[in-house]
Amino acid sequence: MRYIKLHRIFIAQYLKKLMEYKADFTLGAIGLLIAQAFQILFLGIIFSQIPSLRGWQFEQILFIYGFSLISKSLDHLFTDNLWMVGYRIVRKGEFDKYLTRPINTLYHVIAENFCVDAFGEVLSCVLLLGYSIPRLSMPFYWYTIPLWIVSAVFATLIYTSLKIMTAAISFWTKSSGHITHMLYMVNDFSKYPVSIYNRFVQTVITYILPFAFTAYYPASYFLTGENPLFCVGGTVVAGSVLFALAIFVWNKGIGAYESAGS
Amino acid sequence: MDSMIHVENIRKDFKKIIKEPGLKGSVKALFKPNKEIVRAVDGISFDVPKGEILGFIGPNGAGKSTMIKMLTGILTPTSGFCRINGCIPQQDRKNYVREIGVVFGQRTQLWWDLALRETYAVLKEIYQVPDEQYKKRMKFLNEVLELDSFITSPVRTLSLGQRMRADIAASLLHSPKVLFLDEPTIGLDVVVKENIRDAIMRINAEEGTTVILTTHDLSDIELLCERIVMIDKGKKVFDGAISELKRNYGDIRTMEFELLKPSDGGLLDYLSEFGDKADISFEQDKTSVKVRFDASSVSVEKIISYTLSAVHIKDFKINDVEIEEIIKKLYKSGVSA
Amino acid sequence: MSRLRRFLRIYTPFTRAGIQEAVTYRANFICHLIGEIMSAFIMYFVWKAVFLSSDSESFMGFTMEDMVVYLFITFLTGYLTYSDGAFAVGEEIVDGSIAARMIRPCSFEMCFLFQELGNRIISVSMIFVPMVAGVEIYRFVLCGEIRFNIIYFLLFLLSLVIAYMISFYFNVCYGFMAFFFKNLWGTTLIKETLVGFLSGAIIPLAFLPAGVAAVLNLLPFASLSYTPVMIYMGMYSPAQIALSLGLQIFWLAAMIGISKLVWRSAVKRLAVQGG
Repeated sequence: MRYIKLHRIFIAQYLKKLMEYKADFTLGAIGLLIAQAFQILFLGIIFSQIPSLRGWQFEQILFIYGFSLISKSLDHLFTDNLWMVGYRIVRKGEFDKYLTRPINTLYHVIAENFCVDAFGEVLSCVLLLGYSIPRLSMPFYWYTIPLWIVSAVFATLIYTSLKIMTAAISFWTKSSGHITHMLYMVNDFSKYPVSIYNRFVQTVITYILPFAFTAYYPASYFLTGENPLFCVGGTVVAGSVLFALAIFVWNKGIGAYESAGS
Repeated sequence: MDSMIHVENIRKDFKKIIKEPGLKGSVKALFKPNKEIVRAVDGISFDVPKGEILGFIGPNGAGKSTMIKMLTGILTPTSGFCRINGCIPQQDRKNYVREIGVVFGQRTQLWWDLALRETYAVLKEIYQVPDEQYKKRMKFLNEVLELDSFITSPVRTLSLGQRMRADIAASLLHSPKVLFLDEPTIGLDVVVKENIRDAIMRINAEEGTTVILTTHDLSDIELLCERIVMIDKGKKVFDGAISELKRNYGDIRTMEFELLKPSDGGLLDYLSEFGDKADISFEQDKTSVKVRFDASSVSVEKIISYTLSAVHIKDFKINDVEIEEIIKKLYKSGVSA
Repeated sequence: MSRLRRFLRIYTPFTRAGIQEAVTYRANFICHLIGEIMSAFIMYFVWKAVFLSSDSESFMGFTMEDMVVYLFITFLTGYLTYSDGAFAVGEEIVDGSIAARMIRPCSFEMCFLFQELGNRIISVSMIFVPMVAGVEIYRFVLCGEIRFNIIYFLLFLLSLVIAYMISFYFNVCYGFMAFFFKNLWGTTLIKETLVGFLSGAIIPLAFLPAGVAAVLNLLPFASLSYTPVMIYMGMYSPAQIALSLGLQIFWLAAMIGISKLVWRSAVKRLAVQGG
């Protein structure tokens, strides 16, 4: 409860800062929106020539793509400061500050920034889902909406946990932003149906870096109503396991933190 | 006596990768990094009673910052431990830091882009300071540190002196029992330094706050600290009151004589008179003589009588012991107590 | 000749520094490369699925083989012509250290150029040969004959070098503009996305409506990526090659001219501010 109140205050402070710069911050959102738009244009050109991609309709592909943006944008919106841990905060010794405050360090780092740039992705996500859902006949039950929420939360947790772990590597190596970057490029695999990849890629994005659970698996359940245990349950399991692991790595990392300077 | 801070045989090692210079060196470092263990703090123990102001001094790279960072829970000791206010900082971090305040002179904790007051508003929530107490506290800090004139300005527009006052206020907002100050007067001008020293003394006197500070500025030490711990190459080389330091490491004084006749200039030679047992050095010109000596081996009286026997003087002045002199001497002799 | 020697003596230390930097941060370098290469592989799988889902052997004039060559050579071109000058310029303007550049007896952008060349030497030595070899082996396995054409390859190299120079000067200009924006991340994202689209790196220009493609072919962005890749693939006739190389040189000259103008106005601005 206290943390919720704190978070409100952090975001309020952040928005005040935003008011100081205004236009500069909308540029990131516009950039992300344009980036998504070109990807969709690309898909449009492909589907102008073929009726379906390995059995998936255009609208279904758009739905999966849009679904992938739910967790990606939520993670981007709330936990963007983790990038800075790997790029700057640890290397320059700025992490000292978080260790001298009586709140959880991980929470403090995350709460300090709120990335409005991500609204570009939020908007793309809403547009894609808003366009595709009415054009698809998806099964709907009373528990569909709760399951959406559950999968969105745990999918975001998959993203955030992987980011926490790679950020925490910097406690040992001083800088790890490039590792986070490498990992983040893998998540693009989740925008398309897993069935288009070969065995190796499928195994990696299902069991090792389970990005497939952030989009394709849950999205395919909502599209077809098949295999809920694996598709949604897998997301919950992957999210929980990774999060526990991430907390463990983070706390271990704090013990290894060496600060900077003499 | 209840000890606020208890440090026992604390040690901190860092791994350091030694890189050879040049292109070849950096290529080699990639494949076979040359690792070396650097012992930044090497088995230091001490106790600090409640309400004391303790100064940490030592040359650059002596381990002062590492020590402070272990005491504040930022670094984990390689071995040994410290207990402060009944807590082991690394084990009970959240509860521990609630009771301490930390200021790093070279790095601000304030929110760069926001008005100063906003930082305090956030800190109030982080430290859960009740409204009533917060108001009282802000009033007090305002009075001591004169924040009023810039409390609505964005932090990035503050001068270094204002920023330091703001940072100290931020560290005191939650009425900590122990205050850690790492180089609190670095880069500040004399007036601001004085203002900050006054504030530290007032907080210490009125609230019984235990203060640990590191500094390069020895006048900080002389004015603020009852006791100092000197470290060099990670080891404690002195621990005690300043008067004790003076007693143990010689009683260095300087005397200045103003000459009556210019023709007397250059007649004095303290070295051949007293030999080098008294650590004498001097400089003279046509109008004055300045002599520096260790009063524990040559008395003031002897210096005066020798001077009077050789020259005519108009006036003279004895300067009190300069701690700076002692420390210079200690640093120079490589310190091994 | 002695002028050239003096020129090289001034600027080769920058190249050496660039090499050293790249070697020192090689771990970052490799991670970044692997990350970037992922996107090429994603596109590979998407195209494989497209061709498997399609009845015909070709997609808007591209066979699967063409597409793979296009994807990876585009990736290679984009990676090698990527220039970081913008950030360097932007940072120096913001922290004021650019003033020191103006009093040094060497050209501002030449220092950056030679430093980046050092960096490029490392990236070329690490990915160029494996990438080209990989693409050619793939072609050989797929169609059973060697499709590698040494003349096209040499022309590709020439075009690639010009493309890099265009990219460099374009980014120097952008760096000066970035001065006005605080969110360098946002503007860079917009720039990269637009350049990626306009240069044909996201969608081959041939897939766009004919009119749009014709216009984009004339813009400097096609010179950054599309032109060298088309030359490599042997898609252009000799006349087209001559024309597009000429266009590349024209845009290079234009970019150098613009960067000089921007530099001069920046110097004036700094002088006025006393910066």
